[in-house]
Amino acid sequence: MAVLLLLCVAMLTLYFRESDSGFVHGTQSVVLRVVAPLQNGTARATKPFRDAWNWTGDLFSAKSENAQLRQELEQLRAGVAKELTTQDENAQLRALVALKNDNIFPVNAQLVTARVVARSTTAWYSTVTIDVGTGSGVEVYDPVVNGAGLVGRVTKVDANAAQVTLITDQQSFVDAMVQPGGAQGILSGSVTGDVTLQYVDKNERVKVGQYVVTSGRQGSVFVRGIPVGQIESVGSQDVELYQSISLDPFVDFRKLDLVQVVVR
Amino acid sequence: MRLARTAADNQQREWPSGAEIARLVVTLVVATLLQTTVAPNIRILGANPDFALIIVVCVALLKGSEIGAVFGFLTGTLVAIALMEPLGLSAFVFVLVGFLAGRYAETADLSAGYAPLVSAFAATLLADVLLAMAQFLLAREVPLGFFLGRVLVPSLVLNTLLAAPLYLVVRLWLRGAGDLRVARAR
Repeated sequence: MAVLLLLCVAMLTLYFRESDSGFVHGTQSVVLRVVAPLQNGTARATKPFRDAWNWTGDLFSAKSENAQLRQELEQLRAGVAKELTTQDENAQLRALVALKNDNIFPVNAQLVTARVVARSTTAWYSTVTIDVGTGSGVEVYDPVVNGAGLVGRVTKVDANAAQVTLITDQQSFVDAMVQPGGAQGILSGSVTGDVTLQYVDKNERVKVGQYVVTSGRQGSVFVRGIPVGQIESVGSQDVELYQSISLDPFVDFRKLDLVQVVVR
Repeated sequence: MRLARTAADNQQREWPSGAEIARLVVTLVVATLLQTTVAPNIRILGANPDFALIIVVCVALLKGSEIGAVFGFLTGTLVAIALMEPLGLSAFVFVLVGFLAGRYAETADLSAGYAPLVSAFAATLLADVLLAMAQFLLAREVPLGFFLGRVLVPSLVLNTLLAAPLYLVVRLWLRGAGDLRVARAR
């Protein structure tokens, strides 16, 4: 046992001290090439069971959600009329200034579709493994999105697999801004899975229900305008310089299946 | 439980046959796939089941401390590789769990039938505390209230409950149905 424990400590030490092309990382990469297809197969095979499990869970929460959704629907009906007017104005303004079609992603960006094949079960990491890697052009720091919004960013990459750190991870930081208004802050995950928008000046007017998108500031890995979530609560104390803003992310991280990597 | 190995223990040591090794390898792969692809999608009592940990405990109870430690090392390493997590951390925890569960099986009377439950409970406690300490050393946030209320207690309850059915399955797989019939006859 002592030999095995020493081996573990040696692996751990080497893992943190060596570069990504070192021996331990290399070995991990080689073994991962064998394990990844197995994970992919298992993820596909168990998907119907996962869906059934999620459906059962959703059934219990559906009743309470129903009342909340009715209330939201009423608010949205009023919002739609306003939105249509805004869209119309927006289209006219765009035509006037002859803006290019406002795609969120840069023209040279490609979206690589990937499937989530594994995810961390410990409470300490919010990461998932996807089935595309350097072979598909994926690189570290590439943003990952799905139909609902921002999922996270690539933190490790291999030939056929990549690790994505979700925005709920405690070591995830994303530059973001509130829309409308443009108040800027840093989106941060936490060990509890809650997402907060930090460093928003107390003088900025931020309200519950506003949307948060990536701000895409210079040097950021995220392009501007990727939807992240909706503001759930706003608080501030006299002694603090910044507001305390919590977010409800658009992405349902429990049900991640297909995602897209923004490859530049 | 005696941790030190006696001369009699050494004489009784039997290395697994080729068929047994093959079964252990299959168990290892299944444990890894269950842990990385199935467990994250199952949430009961506020926790995800730790299939890999429970299976390491089951193998250690059935095969002893040495095979338990080696199986724990391989399971921890393979899970870390599959999740692209730092190598060595899970392996370290699983080696300890495998060895201690194996020693418990070698030195205690397991006929009462609650050994898998006791072992899974103790293993979960040890693993969760060690992993939380490791996170603290890696400069990650480890709030005590969160750890106790949302990590430790739910996983202790869930893993202990899952230990009995998983132990039966692993035992059937590693020893065959005949072994269960013999145990029932006693």
